[in-house]
Amino acid sequence: MNSRAVTTDILLGIVPIALMIALWQALVSFGYAPPALLPPPGLVFTRLAQQLFTTTYQQEIAATLFRLFAGFSIAVLLGVSIGLAAAASPAINAVVRPIVRVLAPLPKVALYPALLLLLGFNHQSKIMLVAADALFPILLSTYYGASMVEQKLIWSAMAAGTPRRQILFKVVLPAAVPSILTGCRIGLVISCIVVFLAEMITSTDGLGHVLVTAARTFQAVDMFVPLITISLLGLILNGLLEGLRNYLLRGFPEV
Amino acid sequence: MTVIRAFVSRSAPLMACLGLLAIWQVAALMLKTDSFPGAWEAIKAIPSILGDQESLINILASIRRMAIGFSVAVLVSIPLGLMMGRSRAIASFFNPLLMITYPVPKAALMPIILLWLGVGDIAKMLVIFLGVSLPVIYHSFQGAKAIEEKMLWSGAAMGLSATQRMIRIVLPAALPEILTGCRTGLVLALITMVTSEMIARQSGAGNILFNALDMGQYDTVYAMIIIIGAMGIGLDAAFERLRARLVRWSEPAFEIPLSFA
Repeated sequence: MNSRAVTTDILLGIVPIALMIALWQALVSFGYAPPALLPPPGLVFTRLAQQLFTTTYQQEIAATLFRLFAGFSIAVLLGVSIGLAAAASPAINAVVRPIVRVLAPLPKVALYPALLLLLGFNHQSKIMLVAADALFPILLSTYYGASMVEQKLIWSAMAAGTPRRQILFKVVLPAAVPSILTGCRIGLVISCIVVFLAEMITSTDGLGHVLVTAARTFQAVDMFVPLITISLLGLILNGLLEGLRNYLLRGFPEV
Repeated sequence: MTVIRAFVSRSAPLMACLGLLAIWQVAALMLKTDSFPGAWEAIKAIPSILGDQESLINILASIRRMAIGFSVAVLVSIPLGLMMGRSRAIASFFNPLLMITYPVPKAALMPIILLWLGVGDIAKMLVIFLGVSLPVIYHSFQGAKAIEEKMLWSGAAMGLSATQRMIRIVLPAALPEILTGCRTGLVLALITMVTSEMIARQSGAGNILFNALDMGQYDTVYAMIIIIGAMGIGLDAAFERLRARLVRWSEPAFEIPLSFA
């Protein structure tokens, strides 16, 4: 791919976003939508810029990020270890597979009331919900990646005298990394979404709470600000994960 | 021997359900708090919810909204995703827009959409539509992108027009991937349905669940969790049957859907 094609791609990609903002502006300027319902984009973005530099808003972002990372880390730890274990041992697989089959299609938000009642209204219940939702994509892609490892690689390692236990960490895990990272990427997007929803349902801080407070007082401008913030956070985190991926997979053939 | 093995693998999910319910029951007996009734009490509360006409109508209304939102989303997203997969220009046109909308929780748009459209079915169906369309577009896109060029060339050589090639070559070839997207979308539709009803408390299964939580009717809370969970598992199993019939020739990449929120 040459650099000119990339520039055209970027330019093309900006078009729909610019069009959307233009349409938004037009709806307001030509009076189709009253500003109380749809504030002009300029106002929303200046408000966002102002808010980003206030300590209260930074604290809300910090609260959201803390829950997001805590839940996501639990999901990664559990997902990768259970996925690897299931791929390595048929006995564990026989137990894990039906349980995952039942739990994966279950809408986890419906479990949130139960988590609230069990863990209270604090951080724990939200972190658990994020972990529960992000767990399955990571677990499944780890399992998938680990069970797709080429048999020849394992045989060569065994022939070279690697003990069975170490094969898991020296051969299977590195070979499954691309697949694990794909799962993490899906899990990360899910974490962003779920943490926001959980904060909307019951919270005293966090971005979701900011949205709910604004909605209750009909402050349309303040309703858009947390939504744009979470979208930006998602983009940034995704970019960081992409960077990590490029670092970890340097030398891997392009997938 | 094979009969026994087939029986075991068929009944494994059922055994898993029973096992999880049993763990729940034991945990409840050990914790002994009012807010955590056992599995048995929750199951006993199910008939009274489904027997009550009002809640039954509520739940059916939820399912109707979900079905409409899901179908419209699938009908719009598959053609869009396929076109993105076949044309680089269309793909680079839509990709950034999809990337910035992906991490936004669709149900969080509910308060804003409510301001515009009012508390009605349309607002909820729109949110479900938005939630379902992203994974379906993404998977159709991936499916269409992975098609072997040679097949399209042969099609063109045999005189198929662009539209015919799209319907007769690209669509069937991308079908397994599209169906994976639809399966994710289905779980997602259910999740968005529950959350949208929880935010706009007016009717529906999510409304019953969170009202029961607010009023401290704990057995109803857990009974609704079981009902909604059973809906998810049931819909997923039904879809899996359909998928198996449509694309018998292909092995699923994932046997289990990757649920999105």
